[in-house]
Amino acid sequence: MGTTVTKEQNSSAAKAAVENLSARFSDAGVTSEVVSHSAGKKFDFVRIKCSPEQWRAVAKYLKNEIGVNHCAMVSGTHYPEGSAERGWEVAYHMNRWPIHNVEAHTMTVHKGEELEGDEIPIEFEIFIDLPAGDSPSVPSVQDLWVGADWNEKETWDLVGIDFEGHENMHRVLNPHDSPVGFHPLQRQHKIRYHDFNEMYDDPQGFGRKPVDEGRVK
Amino acid sequence: MSETGENYTTFNSRSLIEVVGDVTDEALKATKIKQLLSVLAGRFFNWAGRKSLFTLHLGIKCCAIEMAASATPRFDGDRFGVLFRSSPRQSDVLLVNGPISKKFADPIVRLWEQMPEPKYCIAMGECAISGGPYYQSYNILEGVDTVIPVDVYIPGCPPRPEALIDGFGKLREKIIRIGGAPSTGRDGDKPIIVGDD
Amino acid sequence: MAEMWITMGPQHPMTHGLWTLRVKVDGETVTDTEAELGYIHRGVEKICEARDFTQITPYCDRLCYVSAMTWAHSYIMAAEDLLEAEVPERAEYIRLMAAEVQRLASHLMWLGAFGPDIGNLTLMTWCLRDREMFLDLLQELGGSRMHYNYPRVGGVKRDIPIGWANRLKAKVKLFENRINEYEMLLDESTIWLVRLQGVGYATAEDQLNAGVTGPNIRAAGVNTDARWTNPYSVYDQVDWEPAVEKPTSVKGADCYDRYRVRMEEMRQSCRMLLDAIDKIPGGANTHYQPGDEMIITKAPTRAPEGATGFSTYECTRGVSNFYLQGGGDARGKNPYRVSIRSPMFITIPYVAKTMIGYKVADIPAIMGSFDPCIGETDR
Repeated sequence: MGTTVTKEQNSSAAKAAVENLSARFSDAGVTSEVVSHSAGKKFDFVRIKCSPEQWRAVAKYLKNEIGVNHCAMVSGTHYPEGSAERGWEVAYHMNRWPIHNVEAHTMTVHKGEELEGDEIPIEFEIFIDLPAGDSPSVPSVQDLWVGADWNEKETWDLVGIDFEGHENMHRVLNPHDSPVGFHPLQRQHKIRYHDFNEMYDDPQGFGRKPVDEGRVK
Repeated sequence: MSETGENYTTFNSRSLIEVVGDVTDEALKATKIKQLLSVLAGRFFNWAGRKSLFTLHLGIKCCAIEMAASATPRFDGDRFGVLFRSSPRQSDVLLVNGPISKKFADPIVRLWEQMPEPKYCIAMGECAISGGPYYQSYNILEGVDTVIPVDVYIPGCPPRPEALIDGFGKLREKIIRIGGAPSTGRDGDKPIIVGDD
Repeated sequence: MAEMWITMGPQHPMTHGLWTLRVKVDGETVTDTEAELGYIHRGVEKICEARDFTQITPYCDRLCYVSAMTWAHSYIMAAEDLLEAEVPERAEYIRLMAAEVQRLASHLMWLGAFGPDIGNLTLMTWCLRDREMFLDLLQELGGSRMHYNYPRVGGVKRDIPIGWANRLKAKVKLFENRINEYEMLLDESTIWLVRLQGVGYATAEDQLNAGVTGPNIRAAGVNTDARWTNPYSVYDQVDWEPAVEKPTSVKGADCYDRYRVRMEEMRQSCRMLLDAIDKIPGGANTHYQPGDEMIITKAPTRAPEGATGFSTYECTRGVSNFYLQGGGDARGKNPYRVSIRSPMFITIPYVAKTMIGYKVADIPAIMGSFDPCIGETDR
């Protein structure tokens, strides 16, 4: 009974965004489609796949024409066993929320059911596949969304993906004196005791046998 | 007074004090009163110290919330004399309540070194004892006792505030035993694990 | 006067956690700041790659330790999206009630830490005393005062005990009067008003572009809340409204607005809880055994390769996202990648920039009003 966005609004907004993007980008090879979540309310969101060279153009279009105003998360993943075209992946999760041209010193109380057109909130998921190799790199969107700034620093710090054009890149979570090239979330770095499986297969030691088992007493 | 500062009068105050001091010292030693006074003073300072353990206001992770909860009206650690001080120079106890990362190893050793003797360290929670759930992490030390000598271990994730207050009680019992022994000389002394009896 | 850099180092009573804030001061005025995080970086994302989906829940509790139930719920939503699990409605109601009780406890912890920074030591004792009421309720559900390990993929671990709903109702009704007591203490206090009003301005669009969400944006005049913009669980069936404050000045929301939003949010949580008790399917005073289909459904434990799931969730401090990737048979019951977005990781550098131009004495007020929690920042 609280105000909320309905399923119809959500599907129509996602479809409209995908049509907008396809009309602009589909001949450049950028795919965009409406995908539903598989659980919960099963709402729709927009999934975009593009290449690193096209990313700046897509990002600018998302910000200026579609109205994406919140860069939520930047995640990097390393696939050492992946194909040659997909050795790394950068996933951006963004949101479009109804906060546009807010006048100073006013209060806006949106009612979910009454939002329409570009005001309807939707989630965006952008996958950028990077070729396998030692120096994956993606153009930075630090100047479009300030929220991407520290997210990109963290992705470089932990995974090792370079962001071209990112100013003032530095380590944020690992100590500043970590060795150059140490990016712990890459797959060749193993966690401590990584082959100590007894902890998980048999945590309470029920499978352990006494030292003198099998002896005839 | 001559220019070299030598003074021939025995009523010069500094040498008078030295004479009086030496004579009194010999007298006290001969009658064993000096030994009695040092035992009484030692016991008195030990009592005063363990009844008012000033803890450093250091909150690392979740156990810090339980440390804060133990100072609140329901559990009230203040009635045992446990007070939180902001500066390491003014505190007796370093309560380590979270995992020590590589970045924080240096600051925590510096905090420990800044504390004046006699000082004690309590490792609260699994992360401080052995790395806890993060023992496999690339960034967490396997226990604070790799860098600092620990006196009391309080297991739990997080330990209840009652366990923390009990840990302070065990520390008080330990202080009765070891008195004001400097922290570097306690290697042979077995640390206490709360809940181990 | 010459400018100099001062380090409000990792051990500091007012930073609410372990991070360093370097401030450049010109006399008493702050001219530049630099935030340094990472003192409790535990590598949770790397450790989670070697754990089952159920074993990751306790790690998510320990991400933001004052609001553990909401983080576990956020992770479980992403895991259900990845594993395509259904959740029975009673379990959704129980999760909602647990999350809202946790929100109350978290806001009380915030107020109990914020008050002493401003100088009001009474608040710490009052708020933590009231928080104990709600921690007792959560302890009945999850077993421990702080880290519950309560939601499961497909539902919840065990049902609410008999009488829990009556205790919740009594405590919430008592607490609604307590909120009035807090306001009586604070809203007329000159020191409180002078220290909080006119300090730390932040506008809504600025904050959204910088990635700041949650009560901080609602204090700036827009009622965006992920519980209705990206709906999940049964928030559309209980009676509530997002708490929003009109910013006091054209320059944006100040610390006083952020304090008022959280007080209003506590009232809305109380309202939601009383309504959910009446609406829970199966009745609030029945108890189903663990494993019963009313509270949990059998969910797959392995995720195929290439499957992904993500969740957008309104945690007490902002919007948190989890992004999970499945790994197929090669990974067995473990995920391939767990990626966590923490609202505070983005907010703290933004707050550091907000402090420029104010006095050194305003730093605890501004920092505390954004409600930092370093556990989730430094995963």
